Amino acid sequence: MKKFLLLMIALAACAAQAKVDLVTLPVRDRVQLTIYNSADLTLVRENRALTLIEGLNKLQFSWANTLIDPTSLEMRPLENAGDIDILALTYPPRTQNLGLWNIKSGRGGKVPVEIDYLTSGLSWRAFYMGTLTEDEKTMRLEGYVRVSNNSGEDYADAETRLIVGEINLIDQIVMLAQRQYPYDKPVPVSPLVMKGLFMARAAGAGEPEAEMAFDSFGDVAGMAEIKEIAKEGLSEYFLYTIPGTETIPNGWSKRLPSFDTNGIPVLNLYKYEADRYGEGVVRFLSFKNDTEHKLGETPIPGGMLKVFRTSDEAGHLAYEGQSDFKYIPVNEDVELNLGYVGDVVVEPKLMDYKTDRFSFDSHGNIDGWDEISTYKVEVKNTRDLPVKVEITGNTSTPYWDLERKDSVGKYEKVDLDSFKFTLEPEPRSKMEYTYVLTTHYGRRTE
Amino acid sequence: MNKCKWWTIVLLAAAAAQVSEARIKLVALPDRGDTVIRLDNPAATLIEEERILTLQKGVNKVDFAWNGVSLDVDSIRLTVLSHPDQVKLLNVSYPPNEQALVWELASPEALEVKARISYLLNGIDRLITYKAVADKEETQVDLKSHLVLRNFSGEDFTAARVLLNYGEAFEQGIQHEETKQLLFMKKGGVPIEKIWTFDAAELPWDPDKVSGNVGIPVTYKIKNAAESKLGENSLWDGKVRVYQDDGHDGTIFLGEDNTALVPVGEDMEVYVGDSRDIVVTQQKMQEKQINIRRNNNNNIVLYDTDEIITAKIENFKDKPAKLLVVQHIPGQWDMEKCNMEYERKDAGTLEFTVELKPQETKELTMHYHRRNVR
Repeated sequence: MKKFLLLMIALAACAAQAKVDLVTLPVRDRVQLTIYNSADLTLVRENRALTLIEGLNKLQFSWANTLIDPTSLEMRPLENAGDIDILALTYPPRTQNLGLWNIKSGRGGKVPVEIDYLTSGLSWRAFYMGTLTEDEKTMRLEGYVRVSNNSGEDYADAETRLIVGEINLIDQIVMLAQRQYPYDKPVPVSPLVMKGLFMARAAGAGEPEAEMAFDSFGDVAGMAEIKEIAKEGLSEYFLYTIPGTETIPNGWSKRLPSFDTNGIPVLNLYKYEADRYGEGVVRFLSFKNDTEHKLGETPIPGGMLKVFRTSDEAGHLAYEGQSDFKYIPVNEDVELNLGYVGDVVVEPKLMDYKTDRFSFDSHGNIDGWDEISTYKVEVKNTRDLPVKVEITGNTSTPYWDLERKDSVGKYEKVDLDSFKFTLEPEPRSKMEYTYVLTTHYGRRTE
Repeated sequence: MNKCKWWTIVLLAAAAAQVSEARIKLVALPDRGDTVIRLDNPAATLIEEERILTLQKGVNKVDFAWNGVSLDVDSIRLTVLSHPDQVKLLNVSYPPNEQALVWELASPEALEVKARISYLLNGIDRLITYKAVADKEETQVDLKSHLVLRNFSGEDFTAARVLLNYGEAFEQGIQHEETKQLLFMKKGGVPIEKIWTFDAAELPWDPDKVSGNVGIPVTYKIKNAAESKLGENSLWDGKVRVYQDDGHDGTIFLGEDNTALVPVGEDMEVYVGDSRDIVVTQQKMQEKQINIRRNNNNNIVLYDTDEIITAKIENFKDKPAKLLVVQHIPGQWDMEKCNMEYERKDAGTLEFTVELKPQETKELTMHYHRRNVR
């Protein structure tokens, strides 16, 4: 579909005159895209040079076949702002995708202006590739971003910026872009709505994630120089600025490198928690987004990480698994879930079970007792690398005591109904520990 | 030219020398005079228009029709402005199957009378939108407000005085199916307060156990008061879009929210977006029944609880933050021990204001008893 984003100036000699002859059609001098990933939203800033006459000017802006939110349109003069008054923006009757700015100018000649608006249809996402060393002690982490344009508009030589962050949106931009009338039609206000106007702010402000379907059209590779994305924090968000400009025609995507860090120390962490993961061991790759781990300059946007391992000296790779991870703030611990594994095994066994310490009420009925369970947990590391294993147990009641029968591993209470043992078995080794869990019921809880 | 929805209110004055000559003799078709569009009530728009009626001596019939225009029939009023003592409105009748009514006016002599017709017109209203551009430090905003006039009433207004509930009336024409956006208010340097809020009743306690990111809602508070360069009038309800100066001669879009009407002295609260750099992990470390009381059958009839809740609050930002932590304890309760000060907002709601330095971690511990639980 061909785009139509036109800007025309009509000069009006007197206020009463409607649209008159179109005088100029200025091109974009500069365009900047700020693309969001938590919502289908892009802020577009365009600079154009208008030729105004002294007096009243009418400026027509049309956006047929694009996904622009017309309620977000704004124009501001970049020079001589005191002389230029933007009186109104009119969406004329019986026309669509067209706005008319009434501008009163105290001077004639060229005036640079900035036009801002929000559009739907551009998107970006982050994805990563991790390559573990053979000993799995360190990892090379490569981050990429992929920018896609399905906005209906070609953006040539656009300064491209990407925003990481969760914004609050009331209306989907794509919905606003497709309205017949920019602000819709008035609807009768019911008394209930009226009440709401004066009560708390509109509820349900939460924004359902609007992931765009990515057009899998080929990436544009082969840049002469690899660009390094500049990153900075703004409010609660992170702004990635891609140096120079990018041309992203409608329907195309572009992959750009975001960072490449080698030698990140990583920990192979294995977890067992029946209530959470079922009867299986889940492998995690653990590190921290800090300077000690050669990271920590910026948060890491959420995305899919595919993890490979160098399997031999010739540099051949083995695929280890993938993890879809969340946004990682600076200095936050990272645990990437790579899925179930069979080479680290945790086997808890109930070795003994008994009930005891019954109490009885005045009718002779049981009103309290203890259950005493003895568990032996065997942890096998069949790998030729040392690993760290966390085994979390959950109790059915907050009334419990745990007695350790040995000092293997580290024990801690997590919360009122869970506890954790942490072990670090050597390569190809087996460890086991035993504990007695006593749970109290009825009067025995008092 | 598309004329398919092109109607006007037709006002016809018919002078009837005899009562039986109803609605036949058209004497005048007066033009609409001064017109006022009153938009002060968000529930309905009041139109007032003035017309000169040429009355003859005796009983006059004035026919008012509104084909193709939706108005509230019961709201139509006629006020005689000139010669009100002489001209009498005798009755109003509604002809069958017509969008019209007929006023019967009695005049003692032939008169030119100025009259005002008012009615509630559907399909025409106004919206308010706000655009706030925060500075880089997020201490103040440039606040702009636009008035959006929407006319889908079926009626063209070539020139009308538009009245809001405050401010000066202004002259504006608006065609049927036209929308106009006009600058309504512009204030620079309006101070804001930025607040992060963790409400334990609304957010997950352990973000690690949630598949998506858990964000802490971030709110901008703008006081509608003189010290904020506002406070002259209520701020109308509407959509607020918040941008921020990006430090490179541009802006980024921070988020948007709907605001309710903000009376003078009250705060406008704009939920902008979520912070993922402040993380709260809350856990219940203990919940026990104590002080158990039993009936004669030895059944528990009353008890207290002994509960401990901890919340680890981490600020991963390189800036300080003021986090409002909202906790809820139902029923009757006593705080046994708490390591932070709180304000009791109501019987079951506690608010902690936690000042966090950059990269700081704090832990909140509440040890409390719920009393006389049945």
